[in-house]
Amino acid sequence: MAALLDIRNLNVDFRTPRGRVHALRDVSFKVPQGKIVGVVGESGSGKSTVIWTITRLLAGNAIIESGEAMFDGRDLLKLRESQLQNVRGEEISIVFQDPMTSQSPVHSYRQQMTDILYRRNSSENDKRKRAVAMMRRVGIPDPESRILQYPHQFSGGMRQRAGIAMALLMDPMLLIADEPTTALDVTMEAQIIHLIQELQAEFDATIMVVSHNLGLIAELCDEVIVMYAGEVVENGGVREIFHNASHPYTRALLECDPARELTRSRFLPTIPGDVPDLHARPLGCVFSSRCTQVFDACHKRQPAAQPVSVDGHTACCHLLDATIAPNARPQAAAATPRDDPPEFARREESALLDVKDLRVRFRTMGNLKARIKGVSDPFVDAVLHASLSLKSGETLGLVGESGSGKTTLGRAILGLVTAQEGSARFEGKELMGLTSSEFMPMRQHMAMMFQDPNGSLSPRQTIRSLFTEPFEIHGLKGRNMDDEVHRLCDMVSLPRNFLSRYPHELSGGQARRVGVARALALNPKLIIADEPTAGLDVSVQGEILNLMSELQAEHGLGYLIISHNLPVVRHISDKLAIMYLGRLVERGDCDPIFENPAHPYTEALVGGVPQPDPDKRRSLVSIEGEVPSLTNRPSGCEFHTRCKYATDRCRIERPEETMLGDGRVVTCHFPLVN
Amino acid sequence: MSVTPSDPAPGPLNPAAAAAEPAYSERREKLLLFLQNRLGLFGLILVVMFFLSAIFAPIFATHDPFQMDIPNRMSGPTAEHWAGTDQLGRDTYSRVLYGGRVALQVAAIGVSVSLAVGLLLGMVAGYGPRWLDNLLLLVFDTIRSFPTIVLALAAVALLGPSLNLVLAVVIVTTIPGYARLARTSTLALKHTEFILAERSLGASPARILLRHVLPNVIGPLLILAAMDVPVVVTIEAGLSFLGLGVLPPTASWGTILNEGYLIIRDTPWPVIAGGVPLVLTTIGFTFLGEALRDVFDPKLRKGH
Repeated sequence: MAALLDIRNLNVDFRTPRGRVHALRDVSFKVPQGKIVGVVGESGSGKSTVIWTITRLLAGNAIIESGEAMFDGRDLLKLRESQLQNVRGEEISIVFQDPMTSQSPVHSYRQQMTDILYRRNSSENDKRKRAVAMMRRVGIPDPESRILQYPHQFSGGMRQRAGIAMALLMDPMLLIADEPTTALDVTMEAQIIHLIQELQAEFDATIMVVSHNLGLIAELCDEVIVMYAGEVVENGGVREIFHNASHPYTRALLECDPARELTRSRFLPTIPGDVPDLHARPLGCVFSSRCTQVFDACHKRQPAAQPVSVDGHTACCHLLDATIAPNARPQAAAATPRDDPPEFARREESALLDVKDLRVRFRTMGNLKARIKGVSDPFVDAVLHASLSLKSGETLGLVGESGSGKTTLGRAILGLVTAQEGSARFEGKELMGLTSSEFMPMRQHMAMMFQDPNGSLSPRQTIRSLFTEPFEIHGLKGRNMDDEVHRLCDMVSLPRNFLSRYPHELSGGQARRVGVARALALNPKLIIADEPTAGLDVSVQGEILNLMSELQAEHGLGYLIISHNLPVVRHISDKLAIMYLGRLVERGDCDPIFENPAHPYTEALVGGVPQPDPDKRRSLVSIEGEVPSLTNRPSGCEFHTRCKYATDRCRIERPEETMLGDGRVVTCHFPLVN
Repeated sequence: MSVTPSDPAPGPLNPAAAAAEPAYSERREKLLLFLQNRLGLFGLILVVMFFLSAIFAPIFATHDPFQMDIPNRMSGPTAEHWAGTDQLGRDTYSRVLYGGRVALQVAAIGVSVSLAVGLLLGMVAGYGPRWLDNLLLLVFDTIRSFPTIVLALAAVALLGPSLNLVLAVVIVTTIPGYARLARTSTLALKHTEFILAERSLGASPARILLRHVLPNVIGPLLILAAMDVPVVVTIEAGLSFLGLGVLPPTASWGTILNEGYLIIRDTPWPVIAGGVPLVLTTIGFTFLGEALRDVFDPKLRKGH
């Protein structure tokens, strides 16, 4: 099959105040006509730089040193700006990661889409018809009226569908999707994957998908390119890559994906070390500093691409070169899990945290406005009758789609959001209704970790002052601060010379370690962690989760982990609570919930995770539709609008919490087990 | 804020990361960026000259600013009087130097007090309860709706002209600008995760405002302050020119211009000598302020 896009020996540098960064080095790969090609890599791998190089939209400080990008018989790197404008949008179009920021907020979809068609000499009416047809094709209901709406009136999933419609409007020869599902929930992700597959078959489009998500790549792609630190390290068919990975990095990356390990283990594999500094060209193999099978040749010479099998699968590793390393076979470079630490002896006493019927309401409009509009109840319920309990040394995973109220529940327990009804007891003491000064002493014993590793650290404070701050706030000045600060550094394995740095000088993983250390500074008993691994690469995510597990075993901490990432939650949780529209629909021990989900929503979530295995592609989308609005709760069982088992009873009668035989609590009329 | 001596020993468990000690700092990068901005550098030189001439006026001055030399009144530049003399034979050069002290006094006190008060009120408005925000905004907008000169005229009519009155008018009228800017920045920070993280640790609102909000909002305010200095100096000169500010015989650039204006047919030198430093100071602070804004606001940086 002819290659539509053929990139040869691409070298791209960035000028920075510290000198040149060699962001891409000798990158070569082909995108064949009519295929879906996936580019996989962690942050800093250069996968986005490839996109911006092909479209020639690189930042001003970038220099294309050498290379070719042959596209349909032309070298994209030699085209003039005016020629490029005809290529962009017309022949190559892009679906962006975050549809909220990549769509114009002040133009309706109709305006945006007819504007894209400006090159076509058709009438305004024809353009509108074409736009409506494309919106219908990507699964937007009632496109004639919705096309008049603005991006903020669409939900996240719908917005991404519209983004795909806009990208396909000009019938491009090559569609580039940059992390198309990263901003979406698992259920939406599955729908988008399905949509891209359908469209590819229908339009016979050539698609390049760039992502860090192995599940997405396995499910969607025909061929895979693995990038690491600005180089292509492995390249081949999707089955070859996922079943016969030959580069140690690829193997390690696959092993690190928590979705791959089906059995629950406390410790996740990681890739120790950091991506090398690209200011200097690496002398030998770029992965040598993190590879477990490194030998002499790796430091001296750059490995050339070695064929792994006959069908074009190649990997850049000396181990595959029989002349250099006879009898060797690459293995995964991921550190295998250490021995499990002694399980913390759980005291089966009263619960550390006991939440009963908690209700959090947010005001939607002022009293006066509500009067005028005739709204009797100007509130929405973000959390409704939520009950859960947690013991010391235990981990409870709180899972739900965005908008399910899981973050609000976590914040309400810590008094950062006011709860209107219900109770939350910490070691038997009621927390609800406390004034902020009464709550203050309790904060020593409970801490929160926030979603954004860097963004949750005060940007103008040094790491040292971030570490000493909890002690100052709680008036614990008598201690030797140097000792405390060093203790915290050692606890989270952060080098001590980082203390004088500022948060923006840290990588995501390092900033997350600082966050963990701050949360643990005062030896709390309860940690509420909101998406502790969001924004981290898979290889780093394992490190943070292992660290959290170790510290839990050491200090007997209770964790409430809030996440939408089911595979991760599964590995670390003892108990699970599934949340939908502010209600807990199922809660109980982790393993039975995963093996036999009782609530249809849980079943859909568990089935919605894309597996990093191309042989396990799903033929059906597990859950249709979207989360309803909180202002307009469905009648009866609130899940009935999306439930494939729903009956008339579900539409009318709200189910009560029922206890199943194994101690699980389910809110469903027809639980899928028992 | 505590300064930590950096530990020379590399971290125990992460040697690869420890080795990547930053070879440059962001501060150095900003300094370099600033030095590349020629207009900014020119502005900085003018501003330094303004400060030095005002602070060391008694040393640089050749005459007592009040000493009269009647035989040589209204003369042009001579070896004795470098910038000529006025209608009473006072040395214009020396008077301009002393006039700079008045300008510096008004600028330094006026700008720093209104910066401090505006910053505090703005942060409180942005972080505090809604009703307080609305109340403060109402006050700011009311003040801003008064033309400065008219407000000054009214105040002078009531209290009589004085330097302190000029200062008070300057402070009151410039506070809303700082407060508005501080409030907007604080509102943007209010719901960020790091502020939430501080709240979850139990930090008091005062601590959050002073340690975590202030360092993040002060940058743009300092730039505004640098650009406000010439405005304040001009207000003082303008009010003094109208006879509403500093009173003769005290030398201020405004009074020098006022008196020079009356004798401009006899000698243009007092007007020139009083006007040039005013222009240079205005240019200097404006260039400096713009250069600072370019350095600290990455969005305005060229080449990105």
